[in-house]
Amino acid sequence: MTIATPAQRWPVRAGPYLGPILALVIWELGARALSDAFVLAAPSAILIYLSDNAALMARALGVTLGNAAAGFVIGNLAAIALATLAVVWPRSDAMVRGLALLVFCLPLVATGPILRVVFGPGPWPQIVLAALAVYYTTLIPLLVGLRALPTGWLDLVRSYGRGRMAALIHVRAMAALPYLVAGLQIAAPAAFLGAMVGEFTGAERGMGVLTIRAMRGMNVEMTWALASVATAVAVLGYLAIGWIARLFMADEPPVILAAPAEGGRKGSRAFLTVLAVAAAMIAIWWGGLRLLNLSPFFAKGPWDVFEALFLAPDAAATRSTLANAMRETGVFLLPGYVAGLAAGAVLAMLVVLFPAISGTAMPVAIALRSVPIITTAPLVVLILGRGALGTVVLVAIMVFFPTFVACLHGLRQAPGRVMDVMRSYAASPWQVLLRVRIPAMLPAFFAAARMNVPASVLAVTVVEWLATGNGIGSVMALSASLSDYDMLWSSVALVCVLSAMGYACVGLLERRVLAAYAPEQLA
Amino acid sequence: MSAAVICTDLSKTFKGGVEAVAPTSLTFAAGQTTALVGPSGCGKSTLLRMIAGLEQPSAGQITIGGQPPEETLRKANLSVAFQDPSLLPWRSVRKNIELALDLARRPKKDDDIDQLIRLVGLDGFAETRPAELSGGMRQRAAIARALSTKPDLLLLDEPFGAVDELTRQQLANDLPGIWEARGATTILVTHSVSEAVMLSDRIIVLSPRPARIVEDIAVDLPRPRSSDQARRPEFGAIVDQVFAALAHGMAETLPKAAQ
Repeated sequence: MTIATPAQRWPVRAGPYLGPILALVIWELGARALSDAFVLAAPSAILIYLSDNAALMARALGVTLGNAAAGFVIGNLAAIALATLAVVWPRSDAMVRGLALLVFCLPLVATGPILRVVFGPGPWPQIVLAALAVYYTTLIPLLVGLRALPTGWLDLVRSYGRGRMAALIHVRAMAALPYLVAGLQIAAPAAFLGAMVGEFTGAERGMGVLTIRAMRGMNVEMTWALASVATAVAVLGYLAIGWIARLFMADEPPVILAAPAEGGRKGSRAFLTVLAVAAAMIAIWWGGLRLLNLSPFFAKGPWDVFEALFLAPDAAATRSTLANAMRETGVFLLPGYVAGLAAGAVLAMLVVLFPAISGTAMPVAIALRSVPIITTAPLVVLILGRGALGTVVLVAIMVFFPTFVACLHGLRQAPGRVMDVMRSYAASPWQVLLRVRIPAMLPAFFAAARMNVPASVLAVTVVEWLATGNGIGSVMALSASLSDYDMLWSSVALVCVLSAMGYACVGLLERRVLAAYAPEQLA
Repeated sequence: MSAAVICTDLSKTFKGGVEAVAPTSLTFAAGQTTALVGPSGCGKSTLLRMIAGLEQPSAGQITIGGQPPEETLRKANLSVAFQDPSLLPWRSVRKNIELALDLARRPKKDDDIDQLIRLVGLDGFAETRPAELSGGMRQRAAIARALSTKPDLLLLDEPFGAVDELTRQQLANDLPGIWEARGATTILVTHSVSEAVMLSDRIIVLSPRPARIVEDIAVDLPRPRSSDQARRPEFGAIVDQVFAALAHGMAETLPKAAQ
């Protein structure tokens, strides 16, 4: 038996810190070597910039944090209200999930300018965008948590003649707490991301405004300083919520990225559900515009979009513009999406096969999962240029981290007894990976793949908007600046529907694959 | 006040056509302890869940003290101790018992709760959470919770199923006195024949699925009963009678299944 001495233990304790320290050193040396290329700012240069411009950065950070905090509260309260409704009134569940998904699929890049026109120059567009960015990431784990409890607990409540509300108050609420914390941890950086995207769309102050200014001025130090601060704030938000939760919770927050796969509704029932959700969405859209009494010049309703796409004299041209833009976007989006998924899954498998690297990889990955990758878009553009490569890489990075963390979690959830059986037959690590761990990983992989559909759409549209000038992101930016609101609303509707369809297609593929390779994983 | 339970032509067929309980009529006398004994998966728990109002019968009806089960549920006049103790992990033993009183809208009296905790042998563990208790202690806590609301009808679904043999014997010795003192009508589901004989006034032997009554056996042994009694011939005779009924039920059902 080997007994660990203090001398043996220190590298193990230092494991989580070695990766970041090594990365910082490589970053510093790389930046110094590439100082003539104007793409990479060294950590030392970033620190100098931050110290020289501390007041400016602090003011901008304060504004963005305020907006993000307001959006965080509003979005999470909405998520809690919706989850409560779905649990107390189960018939509303499909409708709540469907509408929530559609709203989550709204492209923030286009929603931002629309909200700017609706709310004017104040903070509300940023706050609403922050709320939109967080509510889904809280809603989904919360719905899972409110339901993931032994039936005996619910039977207990029912045996005393009490209903769903009593079950919610006495049993479900506490049982769902770890899941709520998991959602809030992801929501904290997402709120910051939403607020920054909101500031891209014509705000007067904040980190997003400075990011646009840095990009336009090709200010490398400022761009890197802003991205570093955004990253640090996001990671701190993630860690702070985890720390607060651990003060009163015994269990670690679970890793949940999307609702687990369901057996699927059959045929006509599924079709009716989709129709009902679509009808409700159109009714909310139409009713919302009526209620707010907005000018029809920029507030386009469902009928206006239908008219612009099919009845107007230039309908064919509008459709052609949108189709070309979607084709351009698809060329960047699909390779980036697939590459990000593959890289995340493969790296997670490598970490499991070679556990020595997991001590370093896991804390870094969990921290980086919380980084609003989109705020680093200007960096990717700086390094890789405004072409296809930069866009594909950014989409891949956006998809990579959640996939990696989810897959690693899934691979490690392989049932212990089955692992013991494999060990008793002296199975090799490869055999264990192929026969036990990968089937155990599949639900987490597909959950990440589903949630990454809207995330990758957000990434590609932001890069197109900020940098490349191609695709649907550029069409949305251009139509917003030209006040072509028919085109803008049509783009929003199209992207939203296609994202939701992409989500549904991944769900369909998930059910097929799970039915074939891991049928026990289907709820 | 205890209540008689009357089941009339009660049956249950699940979605997919699995028949769990064949049409059955039976009466559970007020204040008596009745054991439902049968092989695993025969439908005894389903029968119990229908009486508890947790499962809707496919046909037939149930009355508890002349009222439908919904009325008993509404008044929180029944308690169930499940096979799994179903204690909430974030609540201590005391808080788990208080939960039942909250749900049943009964007043929470500390003295009553303390007495109940003592009765089930958990003195000193009132503030302990379930994770720190053994399986037998959790089961006792669940039984204390079930008794706390002083129900007219007590339903026990294999309450000692998850505990070791020694604890099982100890629980079987101690607990009947508690629920008998409260005068509740008690229905106990078990697949342990000796446990059924030890605890009940009457044993209903059920056939393999779909459950139907094979034999109704009176247990007229004196109370209180102890594990010593299990070694007496009259106890053994009833055990033999139950085993014979179970074998008869199996023999009748298996040829049908083979056809």
